[in-house]
Amino acid sequence: MAVAASRVATRRPARTRPRLPEQVAWLTPLLVIATLFFLWPVVNVIRLAFTDTTLLRDGYSYTLQTFSQTLTDPSLPQVLGVTAIFVGASVAGQLLFGLAIALILQRAVARRLHGAVLVRSVVLSAWVMPGILIGVIWQIVLNEGPFGLVNSALAAVGLGPVAFLSDTDLAVASAVTANIWRGTAFTMLLLYAALQTVNDELLDAAKVDGAGRMRTLWHVTLPQIRPVLLVNAILITIATLNTFDMILALTGGGPAQATEVLALRTYNSVFVNFNLASGCVFAVFLLGASLLLTVIYRRILREDDE
Amino acid sequence: MRARSIDRQARIDDAFTYAGLALVLAFFGLPLLWLISLSFRDAAEVLVSTINPIPDNPTLDNYKEVLSSAQFPRFLLNSAVLSAIGAFGALAVAAPAAYAFSRIDFRGRRALMLAVLALQMISPLVLAFPLYRYFASLGILNSLPATGLVYIAILMPLATWMLKGFFDGIPKELDEAALIDGASRARAFLSVVLPIARSGLTAVFVIMALLAWAEFVIPYILLTGPSQLPISVGILNFQGTYATNATGILAAGSVIAVLPAVLLFVVLQRFIVGAFIAGALKG
Repeated sequence: MAVAASRVATRRPARTRPRLPEQVAWLTPLLVIATLFFLWPVVNVIRLAFTDTTLLRDGYSYTLQTFSQTLTDPSLPQVLGVTAIFVGASVAGQLLFGLAIALILQRAVARRLHGAVLVRSVVLSAWVMPGILIGVIWQIVLNEGPFGLVNSALAAVGLGPVAFLSDTDLAVASAVTANIWRGTAFTMLLLYAALQTVNDELLDAAKVDGAGRMRTLWHVTLPQIRPVLLVNAILITIATLNTFDMILALTGGGPAQATEVLALRTYNSVFVNFNLASGCVFAVFLLGASLLLTVIYRRILREDDE
Repeated sequence: MRARSIDRQARIDDAFTYAGLALVLAFFGLPLLWLISLSFRDAAEVLVSTINPIPDNPTLDNYKEVLSSAQFPRFLLNSAVLSAIGAFGALAVAAPAAYAFSRIDFRGRRALMLAVLALQMISPLVLAFPLYRYFASLGILNSLPATGLVYIAILMPLATWMLKGFFDGIPKELDEAALIDGASRARAFLSVVLPIARSGLTAVFVIMALLAWAEFVIPYILLTGPSQLPISVGILNFQGTYATNATGILAAGSVIAVLPAVLLFVVLQRFIVGAFIAGALKG
């Protein structure tokens, strides 16, 4: 690398102005990759959504029918409903748990209590795991067979077994639980960092004024970390909306499509039903939702700057 | 008197804090403990309903079986290859761009940075279908290097933002001094800025490798043969395939699969966490 640099240096004396603006050379690799692997696929996913292409034959023609067929599919409301519950409950749970853990850790560190590092490490371990493995782990933990942790514990006190993964309602709750387990670390990290920036004088003033802890949290602490909370909520919403790996290993979308979220349906349309165009229609909607959330995210950060 | 009651209150609060820590540890730790416990149980003991995590007859057979299987070591190797391509490639592409964003004041810089951020929000699932078609027509489906290129692409936006944060933290005067001394920008970048940013580069590299290790959608769609799969996809093949001690073997495989990522992360967490928060909240 150093050799290449000196060659550049000798070929072109540093003070003369290059003809191309100098940023071009620095940005070229990024722009090439972005064009090939983002721009081009995005243009094509939109284009293919207006065709009748499948994985089973080569040719295709342009049509609006895929859109109307995909959107009028009688099973779509079920998918959207499960997605709303899965994303909504996951995000709410991760925010609540993440905030609670961040507050607990903050107090534990301030009081020099034992175990804070261990707890943080364990929470973070869940977060760095591949989603498939998280699905496998929870599939084992919630299993109705003798090796299921929760059902073994219930059996020890004479209860159960509970059909965590084969009852349609419970399966959704199980998927949400596993997803909260998976993603809470991210919220914990961001909120822990945000809590360090909360003005101590305001907290002390609230205490002097006799405000209770919950009131102080609600009226003093949370308003100060509001931008981080919102940004955090948006980032985890985008992440949850677009994932299906954990669910694939946990329930496979079942029982009877009870846990088939939009991202999994998107995949299934292409690789189970071979309907590439229909999958592209879903992908366009996922793309639209993510970009809309990104715009909101930017707006929040910008307001925070001002 | 008053001091003592405050002290007592603080102790009571400490007890609640410990209780909170214990609950968090139980929820996040018990599934992991259970997984480890199952991985050491033999076929008979897996079928015994118990809440005792320590097996009566601990065995290494599950680990032996997993590691001697034809597929599993291959999955680990593929994951390592893809993570290395993805993390090195993302750094190589992102570092010059991040430097330009940090140091060169050009028209449209802000818009371009926002565009890079928007790329970060595009799900790999959206990109995967057109890429699948494209790769199929080029005959490079099921190719590790071609899939590695896609890894570079999806890691690149976050890497760019994080590295820009690190470069912003290095005083401009340092590379300006090098420029005045007659060095080219490339030279100032390579011999002044990069060495100072080494800890930042390392943190970003590790984060990219971890993300690549966990990546699922891209390999799931673009890699089709079992010999090319990374562990994040391949472990699905172990779910419900083995007849004798399926659960024990699956557990052992899972432990091996997460161990590299978890160890790396726990050892370097202070380092990585700071970089991650900076990357997520700056801009």
